[in-house]
Amino acid sequence: MRLPRSPLPRLLAATLALGLLGGALSGCATRPPADDPEALEEFRATNDPIEPWNRAMYDVHQAIDTVVLRPVAVAYRAVLPQPVRTGVSNVLSNLRSPVIALNDALQGETQRFGTTLGRFLLNTTLGVGGIFDVASDLGLPPHTEDFGQTFAMAGVEEGPYLFIPLLGPSNPRDLLGFAAGIAADPFTYLTFGNRDLADTLYLIRAGATVVSTRESLLDTLDDVQRTSLDPYATLRSAYRQQRAREIANTPGAAPAAPQGLGSGLGSTGPEPRQP
Amino acid sequence: MLETMIARRSILASLGAAGTALVAARAFPASAQAVDTARAAAFIQATGQELVAAINGRAPVAQRREQVAAVLRRAVDVDGVGRFILGRYYRQATPAEQQQYMRLFEETLIRNLSARFGEYQGVRFSLGRAQQRTEDDTLVNTVIERPNSAPFSLDWRVGEVGGQPRVVDVIAEGTSLRLTTRSEYSAVISRNGGRVSALLEAMQNQVAQLAAREGR
Repeated sequence: MRLPRSPLPRLLAATLALGLLGGALSGCATRPPADDPEALEEFRATNDPIEPWNRAMYDVHQAIDTVVLRPVAVAYRAVLPQPVRTGVSNVLSNLRSPVIALNDALQGETQRFGTTLGRFLLNTTLGVGGIFDVASDLGLPPHTEDFGQTFAMAGVEEGPYLFIPLLGPSNPRDLLGFAAGIAADPFTYLTFGNRDLADTLYLIRAGATVVSTRESLLDTLDDVQRTSLDPYATLRSAYRQQRAREIANTPGAAPAAPQGLGSGLGSTGPEPRQP
Repeated sequence: MLETMIARRSILASLGAAGTALVAARAFPASAQAVDTARAAAFIQATGQELVAAINGRAPVAQRREQVAAVLRRAVDVDGVGRFILGRYYRQATPAEQQQYMRLFEETLIRNLSARFGEYQGVRFSLGRAQQRTEDDTLVNTVIERPNSAPFSLDWRVGEVGGQPRVVDVIAEGTSLRLTTRSEYSAVISRNGGRVSALLEAMQNQVAQLAAREGR
């Protein structure tokens, strides 16, 4: 066992600190006057008291996305054919299984826990290290689960909406859940007896997750940018709706919505079917 | 522990339901009613086939756009959805602004679809698995397939308006178009000093851009 040396957790801690500091320092969104109950109700429902700060962070994210993330995702799509990209995505999903299973268990979802465990065993072996999602064909469909959802089930409030550069839409509960997901992930600690190799693999996994997730969101996010009069507000609304649905474990809900619409450090990436 | 969790959950759920009901009651004084699931599914099936036929047709774009517009006007509760989306600002708008908003909203719906005729070429559509009935409306699940891209699921919320089934919302991957657009329009208005006219200007620009894109 060792503590992860990769820059990811440190980056996360820094953005978290920045987000909280920013919320404390920056001007908060103007609260509507008390004599306008409808406006107050909307302000409460939007749940974005530090909107000016979040919008600034959104602009930072968009700048990074325009220069780095999106072009890389476009190149990734252009270079690798769909079956290969699906394989990459399947491997990454499979690596998330232990954390999903842990959260299934914490939520007392025994059947979903069994599904996740079965999927992990089948896909790791028959599916050649997770490349092929044979479990789906055998009647074990994928689902996502994370600590943010587990906290929500335990009654933890989401807290104010946050937009974190690179991570995308979030809130204190889901951000803490994201950190917990990294801390609880056995692959964070596996060294294979070789620290440098482990660090390299960890970085490759993080990078591949970002690129793969961003690629899966290319059409959706292009669409939002093209058609929305206020993409920030559209993403905020979409994220909160999707999280509410994921937390409710709506029957038949497709697990297509990755956490963090913005880019790709989301712990619950899409799990596409086999081609 | 488990009991508290469940209790909390149901309290949260009922609070959420109450909130939604309140919002809906405000937005729809004469609210839509639930439609029989079989009837709603048949209605979506027919409407979907008409849309797909128009999109995949060989007629010139302008003519296909007219076909799509006709289907949407017939099948979507444009008035109710438009009012829901503008919400409290609808009552703050002048009658002239209300009229202009409704015209622009319908135009946006139609242009958003017709600007993508190229992308949607070869689209196929089929009724999906679950059809469920809620208190005010019926959810009809469909699967949209396009060449070279993964199939995705689209839910249609069907309500009964004036004795006829009408689409009142479209939900893609858990995201309601009605709620997302409401958020978007409200943000545009509140960031422009609460002026509805600012939204109308932005919508006008958007329609013009979509039209230009189609002309390409």
